[in-house]
Amino acid sequence: MGNLLVNTRDQRFVLFEQVGIDKLFKIPKYSKFNLELVDMFLKEAEKFAVEVIAPTFKKSDHEDPAYFKDGKAHAPACFHPVYKKFVEGGWICPPAPEEAGGQDMPMSVFTACSELFGAANYSFFMYPGLNLGAAGLIGTFGTPEQIKKYALKMFAGEWAGTMCLTEPGAGSDVGALRTTAKRLPDGRFSITGTKCFISAGDHDLTKQIVHPVLARIEGDPAGTKGISIFIVPKYRVNEDGSLGESNDITTVNLEHKMGINGSATATLNFGENGKCIGELLGKEREGIKIMFKMMNEARLSTGMQGLDSASASYEHSVQYAKDRVQYRKIEDMPNQAAPGVAIINHPDIRRSLLWMKAHVEGMRALNYYIGYLIDLEPFVEDHEEKEKLEDTIGLLTPISKAYCSDKSVDICSLGMDIHGGYGYCQEYPMEQLLRDAKIATIYEGTNYIQSLDLVGRKLGRKGGMAVMGLMGQITETTEKAKGVEELKAGAEQMEAALQAVNDLVMQLGSWGMSGEFVLPVLNARSVLMILGDMIIGWQLIQAALIAQEKLQALLKKAGAEGSPDKVKALAGENDEVAFYLGKVASAQYFTVNILPTLKGRCEAIKLGDRTPVSMPDACFESR
Amino acid sequence: MKIGVLMKQVPDTETKIRIKDDASGIVVDGIKWVMNPYDEYAVEEALRIKEKKAGSTVTIISMGPKRSVETIRTGLAMGADSGILIDDPALEGADCYATAKALAKVMEPENFDLILCGKQAIDDDSAQVPQMVAEFLGMPQAMVIDKLVVSDDGKKATCYRRIEGGAKEVLEVDLPAIVAAEKGLNEPRYASLPGIMKAKSKPFKEINLGALGLKAEEVGAKGAKLKVKKYFLPAEKAPGKIIPGEPEDAARALVKMLREEAKVV
Ligand SMILES: Cc1cc2nc3c(=O)[nH]c(=O)nc-3n(C[C@H](O)[C@H](O)[C@H](O)COP(=O)(O)OP(=O)(O)OC[C@H]3O[C@@H](n4cnc5c(N)ncnc54)[C@H](O)[C@@H]3O)c2cc1C
Ligand SMILES: Cc1cc2nc3c(=O)[nH]c(=O)nc-3n(C[C@H](O)[C@H](O)[C@H](O)COP(=O)(O)OP(=O)(O)OC[C@H]3O[C@@H](n4cnc5c(N)ncnc54)[C@H](O)[C@@H]3O)c2cc1C
Repeated sequence: MGNLLVNTRDQRFVLFEQVGIDKLFKIPKYSKFNLELVDMFLKEAEKFAVEVIAPTFKKSDHEDPAYFKDGKAHAPACFHPVYKKFVEGGWICPPAPEEAGGQDMPMSVFTACSELFGAANYSFFMYPGLNLGAAGLIGTFGTPEQIKKYALKMFAGEWAGTMCLTEPGAGSDVGALRTTAKRLPDGRFSITGTKCFISAGDHDLTKQIVHPVLARIEGDPAGTKGISIFIVPKYRVNEDGSLGESNDITTVNLEHKMGINGSATATLNFGENGKCIGELLGKEREGIKIMFKMMNEARLSTGMQGLDSASASYEHSVQYAKDRVQYRKIEDMPNQAAPGVAIINHPDIRRSLLWMKAHVEGMRALNYYIGYLIDLEPFVEDHEEKEKLEDTIGLLTPISKAYCSDKSVDICSLGMDIHGGYGYCQEYPMEQLLRDAKIATIYEGTNYIQSLDLVGRKLGRKGGMAVMGLMGQITETTEKAKGVEELKAGAEQMEAALQAVNDLVMQLGSWGMSGEFVLPVLNARSVLMILGDMIIGWQLIQAALIAQEKLQALLKKAGAEGSPDKVKALAGENDEVAFYLGKVASAQYFTVNILPTLKGRCEAIKLGDRTPVSMPDACFESR
Repeated sequence: MKIGVLMKQVPDTETKIRIKDDASGIVVDGIKWVMNPYDEYAVEEALRIKEKKAGSTVTIISMGPKRSVETIRTGLAMGADSGILIDDPALEGADCYATAKALAKVMEPENFDLILCGKQAIDDDSAQVPQMVAEFLGMPQAMVIDKLVVSDDGKKATCYRRIEGGAKEVLEVDLPAIVAAEKGLNEPRYASLPGIMKAKSKPFKEINLGALGLKAEEVGAKGAKLKVKKYFLPAEKAPGKIIPGEPEDAARALVKMLREEAKVV
């Protein structure tokens, strides 16, 4: 039995065998790492996740959630010792530079560690996660004084951070924000406005909370172009770095939510008494550009959140299906006297589990791969190559965020189905996993907003170069797979899917050129999910090519080649054989069962139906 | 103080143990290896003493195959200063006696003020190595200890252990001595990330038989006093029985079963 959270063998497969992170170690910044060390990070992360974080999962949902009392916000009591240990363990900022107290850990490796933390209890991991993002923002765009004053204390885990974009009247449409910044004589700004839904917006895990806040300087233009970003601490900071008086930020309340109940989601009033002071971060009117750095990272984390819950749901479901006895074997159905079997013997349960497994593995591979590209990007010297890499990351980010979070809800729901009535009840973690997973489709920009970003900006950029480049890579992998007996059928499906997606992208392009924006915008969600399936299929085929080769070697060694019975027996006793065989099976299942749907889905969009927009509003309403 | 910690790498408690076809041992392929949990208490206790007594050092000593390096590294990442691995093909098949002999030999020249170890390794569960090491080194021993206080002058240690009836036995030993940890001695820390990075460059040496100054006959299977004939898994237990009904009736039924079926009363 594994840890019921994450398949750590698959984590190592993706990092070491598929993505090949050893290539990073040639870069001076990462030369202090090696595979052995990464293996140790993963082991310690697993131990910490299982032994320290996981015990808070249920507690922080129910009996000990984040709460608001007498004007003060509190994190769950059970988070306090965990947070302290998390900081002591150095987990608060591994990717930060060494001089800032981090380890320069590659994003790909940190992403893998974070999967364990998130699967153990995502609502806990949000506190350090947001802090890392906010500290990174100040670390990148702040002045040396600001870095010293704020970022270093945040990287050290002494202070925490947030991201403050959303307002009651400005959710998806950040440009509509109304928080204002008034210039003060000393160059600082007086901040006034309300921010809502601020995760980790107020709590008692740290003495100080530092808010990066989006606001408009008086007189600046409307919309996103007029937005600047400010560093606004909960308490003013004295010259010597100690904490001073309150900075006039009032916590109005914490939300009562469907899930992630351990995470304090606050409404904050800035400057009710005109005494909230902020410092400009970066240049004026560049707030959106700056915040996008944090948002891109946060989008990847949200894609990861999808993976985290999905992975935990899958691991629990396999275990449950092995234990729960219900019905006879399908062959024995007419024979009432035949013994009952564990439900993992039933074809439909196996189908469900493999569906979950394939998606989880594909999502894992995609997210670690994006992490790897992010690691690589700063060190690519060739200008053209660098731009290509940036565009690929830009293309994959909204896909990861929306695809992984949407699929996560499906996976958690299926995991619940496998648990039957028990999955719906609180003795099992399935219902909480599903509730916790759902937020990921909404925050960090709703999945529709991600789809709009993809269709409106990323796909068409530079004549569609990024998506064409990606499809070129997929074609290469597919060609290889066509030469492998076990993967041939799936590779053929991928070929057909690539053709269909190519035609669709062309169609979207020509609609765009002729000013027909409604159709791409109307179908954006479908387009994103189609691309997502294609990319997940690609990742799975890539993995299977590697796995198949290693499997062959193992079978040869054991003299089991060509004998299905021997292979089956061997898989029962040799974990490596079982693992590689499972990798090949994931690819086989996904490519043959899911890729064929792409053609039909592409065709549907190309039909250009506009019923949803042409139907009069009145038809929607019950009267 | 100069502190030595004996540490063994063992299969993770979650590991599904498989026996080799010829019953000569367990299949080690695919096993996840961890630090023996009782040794974790020993490492932690050593680190706490080191933190209190300036200038102290902690050395981890392990006998085992090459892979044990990983687990020594974990100890170094927790904060120990150096590591020694005794690894030689001739050591294979050692029993507690042969193991203790090799361990004692490597520790002799180190002149430790205190040697800490776990009360037993959870793989073989023998609980004999610490006592034998103490004998070989001619040191006092305090076994199964859940509280340890080292005197300010570093000359004595007061050791506490639970005994039958919920009572505590208190032992005072002169140092150097060997102390074996029981669960509850402390709460072992987690290796921190900076600790893991630092562990890379901490002194670590590997010692083979030659360097140890022992002959092949004295160690491993040849030097062992105990021969393992075969390994086998315990027979599966029959499922328990639940006796339904009112307590009185159930008690009656139980007595009947104990008498007639189990034949124990
Ligand atoms: C638990 C939680 C934590 C959060 N944490 C943070 C945080 O830390 N910091 C922060 O700044 N914010 C945070 N948010 C806010 C979150 O990012 C917003 O809720 C989200 O961006 C959506 O905004 P909204 O709720 O106002 O919905 P709306 O913007 O009103 O959207 C409602 C619906 O309309 C759709 N829609 C909007 N515009 C368009 C369009 N042009 N075309 C088509 N459809 C459209 C949306 O997709 C959505 O389905 C959090 C929210 C929650 C619930
Ligand atoms: C809120 C709630 C209210 C309920 N109310 C009532 C009520 O009023 N009266 C009542 O009698 N019951 C009630 N139930 C019970 C409900 O009908 C059962 O939970 C349901 O029938 C599933 O049974 P199970 O939970 O034992 O799951 P299981 O039967 O153990 O099923 C587990 C999984 O295995 C699958 N499975 C089982 N057998 C096979 C097979 N042969 N082939 C393929 N897959 C298989 C199932 O589809 C499921 O995915 C209620 C349950 C809940 C949660």
